Amino acid sequence: MPEIFIDYQRFEFEQPGKVLQFMLDAGLDLPFFCYHPCLSIPANCRQCVVKAGMPVLNREKGTFELDDKGERIIRYFPKLMTACSLDLTDGMVIHTHHSDPLVKQAQADNLEFILINHPLDCPICDQAGECPLQILTYKYGPEGSRFEHKKVHKPKAFRLGPRVVLDAERCINCTRCVRFTDEISKSHQLTIVSRGDKNYPLTAHGQEFDDPYSLNTVDICPVGALTSADFRFKARVWEMNQTPGIDITNGKGCNTYLWTRDNLVLRITPRQNDHVNSHWMPDSGRLAYQRFNENRVHRPHIKLDGNDQVRTSWNNAILTLREQLEKTEASEILAIGSPHAPVEDNYAFRKFFKMHGVSEFFFVPDIRPGSGDGFLLSDDQTPNTNGVRLLDFKETTCKNLSSKIQGDKYKLIVLLDDSLFDRPDWPAIDPGNSYFTVWATNHTPTTAAAHLVIPVTCAAEHAASYVNVDGRIQRTVAAKETRYTNRRLNLEMSMGRLDHYGTQFDNWVDEKNRIDCIPAWEFFKKLDAEARFDWNSSREVLNEISRTLPVFEGVSYERMDTLLGVPLSISRNTPVDQKKTIEPKP
Amino acid sequence: MAESFSFDGKDLEVIRKILSRYPHKEAAILPVLWYAQDKFGHTSPDVQHLVARTLDVPEAHIHGVVSFYTQFYEKPMGRHVLDVCTCLSCQVCGGYDMLSYIEDKLGIRAGETTPDGQFSLQSVECLGACGYAPMLQVTNKQYVNHLTPEKIDRLIDDLKAGIEPSFESMPPKQHEKDNRLS
Ligand code: SF4
Ligand code: FES
Ligand code: FES
Repeated sequence: MPEIFIDYQRFEFEQPGKVLQFMLDAGLDLPFFCYHPCLSIPANCRQCVVKAGMPVLNREKGTFELDDKGERIIRYFPKLMTACSLDLTDGMVIHTHHSDPLVKQAQADNLEFILINHPLDCPICDQAGECPLQILTYKYGPEGSRFEHKKVHKPKAFRLGPRVVLDAERCINCTRCVRFTDEISKSHQLTIVSRGDKNYPLTAHGQEFDDPYSLNTVDICPVGALTSADFRFKARVWEMNQTPGIDITNGKGCNTYLWTRDNLVLRITPRQNDHVNSHWMPDSGRLAYQRFNENRVHRPHIKLDGNDQVRTSWNNAILTLREQLEKTEASEILAIGSPHAPVEDNYAFRKFFKMHGVSEFFFVPDIRPGSGDGFLLSDDQTPNTNGVRLLDFKETTCKNLSSKIQGDKYKLIVLLDDSLFDRPDWPAIDPGNSYFTVWATNHTPTTAAAHLVIPVTCAAEHAASYVNVDGRIQRTVAAKETRYTNRRLNLEMSMGRLDHYGTQFDNWVDEKNRIDCIPAWEFFKKLDAEARFDWNSSREVLNEISRTLPVFEGVSYERMDTLLGVPLSISRNTPVDQKKTIEPKP
Repeated sequence: MAESFSFDGKDLEVIRKILSRYPHKEAAILPVLWYAQDKFGHTSPDVQHLVARTLDVPEAHIHGVVSFYTQFYEKPMGRHVLDVCTCLSCQVCGGYDMLSYIEDKLGIRAGETTPDGQFSLQSVECLGACGYAPMLQVTNKQYVNHLTPEKIDRLIDDLKAGIEPSFESMPPKQHEKDNRLS
């Protein structure tokens, strides 16, 4: 097998590739800025230089020339080579800073050079704490700078587009942002203007950087030159917790990180999953943090008389709903599941009402043809349409459902978390004379019309699974505490510095950020007067699903975690009449 | 964007010829920009927009190319453009002195145009004539080498009188001699 020697250590490689990527995969350290595994390789930052050489081959004998000690004679390239663009070659010898003082010097000098005009404003820079320039300078940089002159000044706090702010002085001109718009989002909106020390990225004259994926450039910018207009100055990165999640704003289910502080989600960034979203996510998905934080249903709400809802106790909510169930025939119950709610909640909803004799379950997918782009935005506006389908909910339309609601047949409407009244094709009607119960995360026109609103956890507060448009089941992890969860006790939740060292009496802690809500499955467990459900966690609900429903066979939280989601064979198991509505893979 | 500039049939024919010389259209950007600047006198944002549309390349990219070269004018310039080199070799041989001499003489700063529209002044990077430092270039054409205040006085007087300096060291612009275009 071909071999390569890095700092006197022998490695074998199977696939052709570049030295830098090989080293990163092997867990070796080498500083770099402009390289990104998903983008073309311009080798312009010069930070990844190594000393590289090849053994001298005796062509006649076909063997390597050896010196007196019997070691291969190595002929080095006359200059240091950029490892990011250097092809792995059989027999190649690489020296990094670990074994060559010249490389070490070059790395420090290059950083000194890059920092010549850099403002060094880390204390007020959003990127500080997660800044490759800052990190690499600490690790590989010079102690100081020999530059004594005035730094070049360039535009600061410049609005490149509606969501991205540029600080041109911080830019190191790695061109990652430009290459992203050229190669990934293909909007071609950015370029590097001018040259030399006057360089910085910019759009064409009179144009805005309004690419629907623009915020990915903020993620890949190796310095604080590109920052998010929305997140700017909101929090230092080391104050936040980082928890893996799933984008719930469309059907693609991009893998994300939710960044929280004091149980508010402050930003959402993509998490690498090569099966789904690579390193990217659409800008729209990042705004979901607002619905996790704001306008939440907190404690059950009930309409007593008139149209005003008041908060009520969980006990009262449960007793009221039990009363309603007692006086209503199963055939008079209209049960509507939700493509917004996870698999576990839809399953619990269905199981509960099935036990009550309800035989038909509906849901309304929210697919808007033309709104997808074949990349990471799908026509499907909801995260779990396929999940609800697989649980045998009947697909229906707003029109059909609303006429059912208006008719006299149903006395009790139960609607899992779905703001149907907000849908563009929902006819303007109210739930008529039936008793309308809604499980919901946020206040919406739908909850306003309900007689009873049960607050449920959102994707930032529960561990739960969603099946994306391609049939991949993926799960979230709780990022935000509710009134009933606790980071210190739930070992799956992440603990930031402030959680570790703070107390609930610190003045930055706001109890209001912990919403009074529970997962829907837990509510159904409590609702069942005969206590027939024995789940203690969503994990147990999913285990039951995978035991009982063949299509979910073998699915577990452990497998979803290790495989970054499990592909389900939806096409095989989906009834024929529903197959056609499943979106094709882009 | 207001479209005040356009290429006519003859222009498009030239551009088609330029395109046919290269394997991909990005390579044609420079000659087409030269052509546009010769025609319109500058490569302002509107002209960049026109070139981008004509070649079907991203407008941002054109902006990057135009702003890279001081030889492309992003705004209308005076009749004569004096590009004074202030890069390393010229700098140590007095490039900045020459620049400020011209600034004082014309009463404008680098980057500005005289009110009568006769002269524009730019401070530019190395023009590859370090051996003749300090030097300047007149409107992307003649190099004027070994600058002294006297030489500058003479140059400006000549230009005012409509006398072009003779070439001291450089051939004329490459594309003007390019017979494949005509
Ligand atoms: S803004 Fe950031 S990503 Fe773009 S070129 Fe500058 S340093 Fe690189
Ligand atoms: S990472 Fe190799 S040159 Fe930038
Ligand atoms: S430095 Fe002026 S021509 Fe090279």
